[in-house]
Amino acid sequence: MGEFKVHRVRFFNYVPSGIRCVAYNNQSNRLAVSRTDGTVEIYNLSANYFQEKFFPGHESRATEALCWAKGQRLFSAGLNGEIIEYDLQALNIKYAMDAFGGPIWSMAASPSGSQLLAGCEDGSVKLFQITPDKIQFERNFDRQKSRILSLSWRPSGTHIAAGSIDYISVFDVKSGSAIHKMLVDRQYMGVSKRKCIIWGVAFLSDGTVISVDSAGKVQFWDSATGTLVKNHLVANADVQSIAVSDQEDSFVVGTAEGTVFHFQLVSVTSNSSEKQWVRTKPFQHHTHDVRAVAHSPTALISGGTDTHLVIRPLMEKVEVKNYDAALRKITFPHRRLISCSKKKQLLLFQFAHHLELWQLGSTVATGKNGDTLPLSKDADHLLHLKTKGPENIICSCISPCGSWIAYSTASRFFLYRLSYERDNISLQRVSKMPAFLRSALQILFSEDSAKLFVASNQGSLHIIRLLEGSFKHLHTFQPQSGTVESMCLLAVSPDGNWLAASGTSAGVHVYNVKNLKLHCTVPAYNFPVTALAIAPSTNNLVIAHSDQQVFEYSIPDKQYTEWSRTIQKQGFHHLWLQRDTPITHISFHLKRPMHILLHDAYMFCIIDKSLPLPNDKTLLYNPLPPKNESDVIRRRTAHAFKISKIYKISLSTVSRFPRTT
Amino acid sequence: MVQLRPRVSRTPASASAMVDEGQPASEEEAEHGLLLGQPSSGAAAEPLQDDEEGDSEFDEDEAPEELTFASAQAEAREEERRVRETVRRDKALLKEKRKRREELFIEQKKRKLLPDTVLEKLTTAPQTTIKKSPGKLKEVILQKKNEECEKGSDSKKTKEKVQKVQSVGHNKSYLAVRLKDQDLRDSRQEAAKAFIQNCLYGPGTNRTTVNKFLSLDNKRLPVKKAAAQFLNNAWGKIQLLALIILYTKCYFVRRW
Repeated sequence: MGEFKVHRVRFFNYVPSGIRCVAYNNQSNRLAVSRTDGTVEIYNLSANYFQEKFFPGHESRATEALCWAKGQRLFSAGLNGEIIEYDLQALNIKYAMDAFGGPIWSMAASPSGSQLLAGCEDGSVKLFQITPDKIQFERNFDRQKSRILSLSWRPSGTHIAAGSIDYISVFDVKSGSAIHKMLVDRQYMGVSKRKCIIWGVAFLSDGTVISVDSAGKVQFWDSATGTLVKNHLVANADVQSIAVSDQEDSFVVGTAEGTVFHFQLVSVTSNSSEKQWVRTKPFQHHTHDVRAVAHSPTALISGGTDTHLVIRPLMEKVEVKNYDAALRKITFPHRRLISCSKKKQLLLFQFAHHLELWQLGSTVATGKNGDTLPLSKDADHLLHLKTKGPENIICSCISPCGSWIAYSTASRFFLYRLSYERDNISLQRVSKMPAFLRSALQILFSEDSAKLFVASNQGSLHIIRLLEGSFKHLHTFQPQSGTVESMCLLAVSPDGNWLAASGTSAGVHVYNVKNLKLHCTVPAYNFPVTALAIAPSTNNLVIAHSDQQVFEYSIPDKQYTEWSRTIQKQGFHHLWLQRDTPITHISFHLKRPMHILLHDAYMFCIIDKSLPLPNDKTLLYNPLPPKNESDVIRRRTAHAFKISKIYKISLSTVSRFPRTT
Repeated sequence: MVQLRPRVSRTPASASAMVDEGQPASEEEAEHGLLLGQPSSGAAAEPLQDDEEGDSEFDEDEAPEELTFASAQAEAREEERRVRETVRRDKALLKEKRKRREELFIEQKKRKLLPDTVLEKLTTAPQTTIKKSPGKLKEVILQKKNEECEKGSDSKKTKEKVQKVQSVGHNKSYLAVRLKDQDLRDSRQEAAKAFIQNCLYGPGTNRTTVNKFLSLDNKRLPVKKAAAQFLNNAWGKIQLLALIILYTKCYFVRRW
């Protein structure tokens, strides 16, 4: 008889939304990604490409452009005609300002970072001044006949190239007038009835304008004379995006066929000073349109309709050729979208606009280790709960007893009471939620389902006591003065005494729930926390970070445990540290306090603290040795990390259900 | 006013005519000289004849009437008056028609107006006309009742009152916006989305559905097979990406 019965759930129809815009920030090495449902995610590329922040989407917000400005300020503009600024500390939207030009198709920040240009539907290019707390409209440039689909500043800030339909205009910033209007052929060497749409333009400091259009051409123009210099036909379909590196010696274009081309400025012969642009490398990492590309100093970043974010480091730019130089493909979410009720064996799935509640199937059969048991009762879809309003759901949770469901959008908080009568399930909404509970980043129920912990995006933690049909606000832990650090992850101890909360940069705070006071703070680590959990009997806090380090901290003793110190001294196995995806959930075995269960997208691991730790020479992914091997060998090869890769692509939580008959 | 006599055409008469004319005209020839071969004289003969006839008509008429100046003046004045009368009548009729149409429009507009309660609030707001407003309110209520009773028969008076009520209430401290005007923004956004959809997925782009793409081979075989069909509509979009990778870009080029 195997030790665990594993429910393999494949009815979670998670469909991510396509990537529309990508913006790279050089100073902080962060990437802002905007998706078609309006979500904006911030990836920290130096923290192992971990998604550290996200802003929930909105139905009316069809973002078309995203850009960073001076001082780490993020702006986006879309088809609803508004320019939105995001507050990266409080994780909400600072303000949305209407540009009064109709839908906005493109936006670019000036090289100095203090001005913003927006290209609108009515053909006008609007200049905004970025003030410390808002943006202010300065003036309009000369109005063009058709919509402005792409914009680019010259690095010196004196000229602008604007791509429209069938032509590109070059403006002089000071006067605001169009100097040149360069007409683009509708088709390479031919005639076509379809209009040529200039999807992207890039202005180089020597006056060259590079344009990519819907006929599949990459063209080089001279902005001083307004003439075409060179024409490259790279694809049979649209070329939809372009990004130039800071040194202006390479740029990358993405096509609608999923191919990404890398162009480089190389000298004509080996020792001549004359250089020309040559198409060097094609990459086919996408299957659908590549609608956004970015160029960091060492890597090419692309994202498109097939929802993958691909980061391809360039070999010649990378200094140390280690695992960091491999291709990274971010496909799966870095947060938990599933919560589980242990007592009633229910799973709550979180989608963008609705929640689904499922009852797990059960089986009465028994078998050996590795067998697949047939289900006697199929999984049951109990509830489909749609959210009201256009906003996406940020977080959701179901209580362990299965009678409470809570979820939050950017402006409202919803709490429902579930009751089960025989075969029916009924839902009742708890009305009149308090105003401070408006936008929660993380929701957690205590083990006895009597308390609700809510981490709001203002940095405060609320504790709410749940009564029969209503609730009572117990306490609020305010953030430390001076910081508005939003708490992203919560963990509560099974005995209900301790609550751990982690933000994005400060250490993990541990609060005493009985005394309602801050107990201690785990020292800050320079990589963000990806998962938190508190062990049942020992009250050890296990923290997983984005660089695949796992720490164990004893809450009653207020220090790291012996095991944690040992493994930090020895270091993790190199294969463990080279894993791509972050650990998203940590759990424990009720009867075995020495076991820690954790998983990431591609593997499931049980760490047995009583066994010796593997060093770099031992095999990390060792399957069970065959039974006829002697006991001695088995003991020699066994080590603490027991990893199973059978259950690939696991997005789910891993919990140990109490064994029922 | 000179009445011009119709001119006779100076076309040369045909030979037969001349021959015909010749005989009866022989008598006249003696009077007017040789006519044969001299079409001009033949032609010339006719106006003379006409002249003679015309003259004879005039001779037959009486002498023109003698009109006194006074009677002529009276007649002229009569004429003028008649014309003026008709013009005035026309104008009046047109005005009447226009007025009736205007009233009809106002009535239709009133039917589409905000409910009475909101109108009351709007009219009671301005402080300078506080004294007047209760009276106006009563009128408004009366109007509603009147309308319900008689459908616009007694329309003129009530419509004027409605107009007055509408003009009162321009208090600049609040702003009432019709939701209909907000539609402009949504319609532009819809138009923009339709543009993008057309550019990327509309006719002329070389795109096809996964279903069609996978069924292509089956349909081109010498023995045609059934098209690929998905059990779950959502599958086609995500799960078959792997299969698409197998078919490279050059396949597309060959196809199109």
